[in-house]
Amino acid sequence: MDKIIIIEDDPAIREELALLLENEGYQATAVTDFSDVPRQVLAAAPGLILLDLGLPGRDGMSLCLDIRKVSRTPIIFVTSRDSASDELRALSLGGDDYITKPYNIPVLLARIRAVLRRAGGPAESDTLEAEGLTLHLTRGTVSAGGGSAELTRNELKILAHLMAHAGQIVSRADLIDALWDSQIYIDDNTLSVNMTRLRAKLEEIGLPGFIKTRRGMGYQL
Amino acid sequence: MTLWEFLSDRLDRILIQAVCAAAAAFFLRATGTQSGVLAVLLLALLLVFAGAQLADFLRQRARLRELEAILEGLDQKYLFAECVPTPRSLYERRLFELTRRAGRDMTGAVSDARAAQREYREYVEGWVHEIKTPITAARLICQKLDGDTRRRLICELDQVQAHVERALFYARAESPERDCVIRQTQLSQLVAQAVGEHRALLIQSGVRVETDGLDRSVYTDGKWAAFILGQLLQNAARYRGPEPVVTISARPLGKQVQLTVADNGLGIPAQELPRVFDRGFTGSNGRARGGSTGIGLYLCKKLAVFLELGLEVTSEEGRGTTVTLTFPAKEAL
Repeated sequence: MDKIIIIEDDPAIREELALLLENEGYQATAVTDFSDVPRQVLAAAPGLILLDLGLPGRDGMSLCLDIRKVSRTPIIFVTSRDSASDELRALSLGGDDYITKPYNIPVLLARIRAVLRRAGGPAESDTLEAEGLTLHLTRGTVSAGGGSAELTRNELKILAHLMAHAGQIVSRADLIDALWDSQIYIDDNTLSVNMTRLRAKLEEIGLPGFIKTRRGMGYQL
Repeated sequence: MTLWEFLSDRLDRILIQAVCAAAAAFFLRATGTQSGVLAVLLLALLLVFAGAQLADFLRQRARLRELEAILEGLDQKYLFAECVPTPRSLYERRLFELTRRAGRDMTGAVSDARAAQREYREYVEGWVHEIKTPITAARLICQKLDGDTRRRLICELDQVQAHVERALFYARAESPERDCVIRQTQLSQLVAQAVGEHRALLIQSGVRVETDGLDRSVYTDGKWAAFILGQLLQNAARYRGPEPVVTISARPLGKQVQLTVADNGLGIPAQELPRVFDRGFTGSNGRARGGSTGIGLYLCKKLAVFLELGLEVTSEEGRGTTVTLTFPAKEAL
């Protein structure tokens, strides 16, 4: 489990962000005393630092320099300053990514994952398994028992999202949201078409009714 | 100034002199001066007089040309009176003194107005900076809500953010050179950013986004180009028809790259098409629907001109609107 340290002066953002990251399965701690931040970072030994630029007393840029002197921990700048020159400077000072407020929550989480992956965290598994079904993400195939079927990009993403939330009810809107995260910008009708095709393929490999429809609520494995 | 203009300007003086000469000739003739002597005298008088006028004309013309050259050479034309070499004639000196006094007053007014504009811009930028913190906090708090309420609130927050962004870019468009950084930018990244910023609105509106040929890079300021794209996407979602589809595609055009954003929405009436980039123009669709500010496309045009992007719109009522962005070749920048 990755530990993320939040250096942010706005208390509402600090608390809500910590809560969000905890819900996403990270261990989040927030810095509340802005004196000697590098020492606190060193003591906490996090896997990732989220650093605001406009901090009380000192600038996030100089703080980044100081942290870099003692630690190679990845740093993501999270700031409302959105000028290109600030971004260039932050990245050249040793920041690993630069995200401007107000951010989309899914985008923020995706970029946190990307930075952690680059920093050599545990590799995400290439296969997903649920209810006797195995999904091979890079090959784009699904297999169960002896049979297997090839999936299109859309079908793969739909099934992956459902398998990641196996047992839970996933609404159509959640599915569309998840697909948009992967830059598949589909509408409701296209989702229906893809769902029908996906179910037909699952039926072919001997799993009819694998994806259940929960009327008025969504889908469930 | 032509000679004719000069002479007609002095007509009264010339007439008085002619009358005086005629009266003198009449007097001399009556007191017995021979007509031959009189003729020589009048001829000499005419020559001297005409010569003096000509010399005057040439001097004035040269002086005017000099002043015009000074004015042409000035960046800030209102500083003209300060830059003119001191005139020799008393009358002209006094005139320039008056102009200079008026000019100084104006210089003061201009610099006051500039300072006020700069302060206002700084205030707007600061305000935008401040408002982002509570919007971010609100977004994070939204995460705790259940699906539908969350989606609707996020959609509203996106609207707030879109208005804030427009205010920021409006302030920036006044002196765009301050924040513009031209870099190599992937079109796919640009589109992903713009779509990402407006995803709640697009999803809520049931828009399907199709992309094609975006594995190309252009040289531009990514943030500004994404802002322009975002305005186009918002319009596509706002003025949508049934089963809305937005197609974003790119193709090379010589050394340039053309990015097309096409929708199958309401379209723009032909007579309104030439005015869509005008400031404050909302059109019949905008007025019928409400909530249109007439600022989005105006800003797009302004930023596009600065980025040297071609920005063209074609539309057919009831069929949809197509906006084409032409990114300049790298060599042109």
